Amino acid sequence: MRDVISLLKPRLWAFTKRGFTFHSGLKSIIFACVGLVFWAGIFMAGYRVLAYCSQAEDIGEILTGKILSMAIITFFSLLIFSALLTTLSKLYLSRDLNLVHALPVSADKIFLSRWIESTADSSWMVIIYSIPIFIAYGMVYKTGIFYYMAIILTIIPLCIVASSISALVIQLAVIILPANRIRSIFVFLGLIAFIFLYVSFRMLKPERLVDPEAFSTVLIYVQQLSTPNSPLLPSTWAYDGLTAARLGNIRTALFHITLSISSAIFFILVNLQIAKLIYFKGFSKAQSAMIRLFRSNGIILEKLFFFLKPPVRAFVIKEFKTFWRDQTQWSQIFLIGALIIIYVYNFSVLPLEKSPIGTFYLQNLFSFLNMGLAAFVLTAITARFAYPSISTEGGAFWIVRSSPVSIRSFLWIKFFIYLFPLLILSEILIIATNLMLHVTPFMMWLSVITILFMTPGVVALGIGLGAAYPDFNAESPVQSVTGFGGLLFMVISAGFIGVIIILEAGPVYTVFMSDIRNFQISNLHWAWVFGSFFTAFIICILAMVVPMRIGSQILGNIK
Amino acid sequence: MIRLENLTKQYGKLKAVNAINLHIKPGEIFGFIGPNGAGKTTTIKMMSGLLSPTAGHVTINGINMIKNPESAKKNIGLIPDRPYLYEKLTGIEFLRFTADLYHIPSDIFKKKADHFLEMFALKGRANELIEAYSHGMKQRLIMSAALLHDPPLVIVDEPMVGLDPRAIKMVRDLFRTLSENGTTVFMSTHTLKLAEEICNRIGIINHGNVIATGSLEELKEAASIGDSNLEEIFFRLTDEGI
Repeated sequence: MRDVISLLKPRLWAFTKRGFTFHSGLKSIIFACVGLVFWAGIFMAGYRVLAYCSQAEDIGEILTGKILSMAIITFFSLLIFSALLTTLSKLYLSRDLNLVHALPVSADKIFLSRWIESTADSSWMVIIYSIPIFIAYGMVYKTGIFYYMAIILTIIPLCIVASSISALVIQLAVIILPANRIRSIFVFLGLIAFIFLYVSFRMLKPERLVDPEAFSTVLIYVQQLSTPNSPLLPSTWAYDGLTAARLGNIRTALFHITLSISSAIFFILVNLQIAKLIYFKGFSKAQSAMIRLFRSNGIILEKLFFFLKPPVRAFVIKEFKTFWRDQTQWSQIFLIGALIIIYVYNFSVLPLEKSPIGTFYLQNLFSFLNMGLAAFVLTAITARFAYPSISTEGGAFWIVRSSPVSIRSFLWIKFFIYLFPLLILSEILIIATNLMLHVTPFMMWLSVITILFMTPGVVALGIGLGAAYPDFNAESPVQSVTGFGGLLFMVISAGFIGVIIILEAGPVYTVFMSDIRNFQISNLHWAWVFGSFFTAFIICILAMVVPMRIGSQILGNIK
Repeated sequence: MIRLENLTKQYGKLKAVNAINLHIKPGEIFGFIGPNGAGKTTTIKMMSGLLSPTAGHVTINGINMIKNPESAKKNIGLIPDRPYLYEKLTGIEFLRFTADLYHIPSDIFKKKADHFLEMFALKGRANELIEAYSHGMKQRLIMSAALLHDPPLVIVDEPMVGLDPRAIKMVRDLFRTLSENGTTVFMSTHTLKLAEEICNRIGIINHGNVIATGSLEELKEAASIGDSNLEEIFFRLTDEGI
């Protein structure tokens, strides 16, 4: 065990012995505050939903139980997916593995130290943000202290089981797959996540839960809600343990908790035995150069971008090629694809006609909210792909700096590379969802134009802040976006979207009401309408120009 | 070709490069030597526009690097000590990328790429991803890319790291040929024998200060050593005897 601790020490030291400066302290405080706001938001939303559902006559308890069970299954799926990606990197692809394997330490100890790191990395966020849901559940039912202890005793084994299953799958996959295809696991993982998300969401049909009329009788509805989950799933043990703890059945709760803990230990032991047999063999295989999934000599790209100036074309083609050939990006593309399909699908099943509020009003209200949501989706995609695009230059950034292309031009080239696909995607998203909502032509045009002006702002924020906070040592694009700059981008982008939506919402509401209630809009109101839209336009321009300028200044002066 | 005037770089309290002055003529092979942490790489980074100086000026081929960085960089072929490249591009794609950055027309690029790939023994691997290349192959690819646009100045930081004996000999001959054709070579190295063999002049930097410049004979004189080699001069001047 001493060897395992020694192997973990560099990571611990890097974490605990970071020099404390005013700047780093400020960053930590901002990080903590934003994290706390999210945590509180999840808690409040969770509490309100659970408290509301718990009051439903006869089925309140079943309904909250179903929500809790759905939440645990979601957390468990997230843990497995996140652990699969992290484990593959930690066990087989990290840069420092050559050094570690050269040390006089057995492969199973290296495996254990790496697995511990991977478990911590893939679980901490799920743990932190699932706890408010569990606390909310306990508070709704005013449970005793044992329930809150059970949360910790349940969630930790759940994380360990998820991480162990992932490590087992990855160890076996690396051995089975040909050496030069190991990195393709990312593609297959992405595809699996896509199918899993899509199918599970279609099967859940969450919209039916809020529409009891969809079930022929109340009995079928209740039966649907109270169907128990498979007893073989670790998420079921966690759910059973928590509900028993909530009801004060300490013995039953302890049984399920013990079941979770013992299976966590079992999975660790199995993993260690498997690691003794095959981990080093797999690591050795992973050293081989991989072959490309799709081969192309790039002539199509050359022809497609023939009209660009040579330096611009050089960067555009380089960006396309390096992006598509990096198979770690694919899993993210599939995942985002699945989320977008689910997003659009949600709009197609909204039971608007059953609402007591006027359909016309509701459709346009949703369309307005949809603008904000689409812009948030855009922010998430920008954060994942455009923001890290400066950091992914990595050590090769010297090529850019020594080339006869200014940093400013380089950033603008990056901006346009990401702007066009993201703009097309956002417009498709907004038009498709608006068509499903049958919104008025006015709202359709307003949404299309707003997205047209907001997208450059969001992308420029991503590129500009990515340039201001580059992490050229990041091993993956995700690593760079989880830093302070990534957080700052998310917060500023969310603020930018919020301001634009607020600036448009008031005037649009007035115009709508004048239409519905047939009253004339005064000149003062018109001035307010135009003033608001003009301010929104200026903010969009500033959001595009200012971050790019700041990013270019900071990146140009980087040591 | 290169003029450094009072070039200074300060990192916090540490003066990495302290007001150095150098003038290097066209066609010269200038060796820049010094102990680890003496300021060689920092000087090279400022000369090639990778780092902005705290004070002083860098002039390349008559162009001020701070005022006109893009124009100045067109005159430089940089070969850094660590071969970080775009790993997901193939060798030939990287050369094409470089050619586009320097506005080299397609037909000329094809001829030059062929020539350098042949010269640096990379032709058979040109269509493989760079991530599959060895350290030495990456270094040779960077050299090919640096020479594509016929720069009047080649700046090299540790040119022989990772190269096999055949490549070392080839690079040594290449620098001589370049110099004969009027290209200036500014070379930072720890291989004192190489500097002794091919450099017209040598500059020694220590603790951020250029403590001596001149031909081998002039350095011997400065070090007050009679018949000795560069290694002895280096130890004497930098006061780092074994």
